[in-house]
Amino acid sequence: MDLTGGFGARSGGVGGGPYREPIGLESLHLGDEFRQLATTTSLTPDNAGGSFTALLELPPTQAVELLHFTDSLSSSQAAAAATTGIGGGDIIIAPPPPPLHSFGGTTLTFPSNSALMERAARFSVIATEQQQNNGNYHNNETPTSSVPSNSSDRVKTEPPETDSAMENQSLCPNQTNRSGKRKDFDKKVKSSTKKNKSSEETEKLPYVHVRARRGQATDSHSLAERARREKINARMKLLQELVPGCDKIQGTALVLDEIINHVQSLQRQVEMLSMRLAAVNPRVDFNLDTILASENASLMDGSFSGTAMQLAWPHQALETEQSFHQRQLQPPPPPPQQWPFDGLNQPVWGREEDQAHGNDHSNLMAVSENVMVGSANLHPNQVKMEL
Amino acid sequence: MMSSYNMVKQEFIKKWITTLHILDCSVEHPLNVTERKNAIKLSSDIAMAAARSSSTVWSRALISRSGNKTANKPMARRVLKKARNRMKNRCLTLRRNGNFTAKSGVRRRTELLKRLVPGGELIENKDYLIRETLDYIVYLRAQVDVMRTVAAVDSVTGNLTNDNN
Repeated sequence: MDLTGGFGARSGGVGGGPYREPIGLESLHLGDEFRQLATTTSLTPDNAGGSFTALLELPPTQAVELLHFTDSLSSSQAAAAATTGIGGGDIIIAPPPPPLHSFGGTTLTFPSNSALMERAARFSVIATEQQQNNGNYHNNETPTSSVPSNSSDRVKTEPPETDSAMENQSLCPNQTNRSGKRKDFDKKVKSSTKKNKSSEETEKLPYVHVRARRGQATDSHSLAERARREKINARMKLLQELVPGCDKIQGTALVLDEIINHVQSLQRQVEMLSMRLAAVNPRVDFNLDTILASENASLMDGSFSGTAMQLAWPHQALETEQSFHQRQLQPPPPPPQQWPFDGLNQPVWGREEDQAHGNDHSNLMAVSENVMVGSANLHPNQVKMEL
Repeated sequence: MMSSYNMVKQEFIKKWITTLHILDCSVEHPLNVTERKNAIKLSSDIAMAAARSSSTVWSRALISRSGNKTANKPMARRVLKKARNRMKNRCLTLRRNGNFTAKSGVRRRTELLKRLVPGGELIENKDYLIRETLDYIVYLRAQVDVMRTVAAVDSVTGNLTNDNN
């Protein structure tokens, strides 16, 4: 194939090649920097009560109000949300991020992105933790619905350190001048929390006198509606932060536009990248070699290389599987360290061995079921995947 | 201590390696580029959804959608029965409300977003939709980051499957 020929030729220039590698893998180096970051800012599990405030990155009082606000609202809308467990009183999405006053202009682009991805990823992590029994995530930031302790001072130190520990995430092209916008957000948050207070009072107590603001009805329906709208707006603001270039836009419709564009562009990137990966490699399971070989070589990070080591074991096993696809077998050694994937791992390798000659194929959907439903027993089924 | 975003990426990597390998074992070679691309994308999507676990609508919808792509539908149906039951209830709610053509800008864009996010059509509550979108974006970005890194490594080192032994 022309493409593989072209890439093969490019690999000849390996002398200049390795310089590009660290850049690409630097993004995965994040573990090191963030680990240092975590230790210095003392956002440790024993500060778990404060971790929630850290998430919100607001002063504790505002955080509490928003906490109750989201709590009461989510309980009232339990129908759809409760089944998935996300809305069941869990505070997943925090309102807008803190004012990052200390940041300079241009350095904001990447630091804010990593801080954002951090924050946003923590939401999903915490959401996952609350529903999972098995701790797949070692990072035990226990989500608290109790009053968070005050760690706002420590929280403020986090963004500057994120700034210093910057990595090029190679995404998010349009993040500029966030500091100004963050200040606006701060004011908006304060004003919205005042509204939240009034609406939250009506929701918590059955019969309460609320002094209406000018031009707004005190009808319970409209209050609930207003509360709901505010909640949506708070989330939208967070989404605005997450999607690059959204800061300057006013109005829900345009923000939604940006979000839609972002999702579409990410999906298109996935398409392109998978095409690119498919073009380079003749086999589907290419990245076992590439990731693990390069990462084991270049990453000296403790925790990350620990994981890489764990991955390296299946890498060896898989490599033998690959090369033995037409030849004899080797039983893989037992995993040296405990891998959260263990329950899934063993049966898969075991069955792979028995069926190496391609008669029986493991089921990709069984993998998903196993992962999602959590059962450790894979039924060996013959499945031919047609693409 | 690992950052959460890094953990997301690592979860994704682990799942992806497995799904890629399984897919590779169960498909007959040789495949042309398009088939390989579809395989990679399919395994990547499943890995992303699996990394998220079943607590989000989008992850379940993505797996269910990917299940339709594999040939063995009864198998997929059996495997995903649990997830699909949950989604069926929401489907009913949606149908009851009927289809309106969205007139206002926000409404129209919400509909569009619902179509983009897997499982979005099943979500009635706009607030919930936004929550799901946020989660989905995080994982989507992790997917893109990892794939981009791997592609960068790939283009540098060329085809390693032959050289690495």
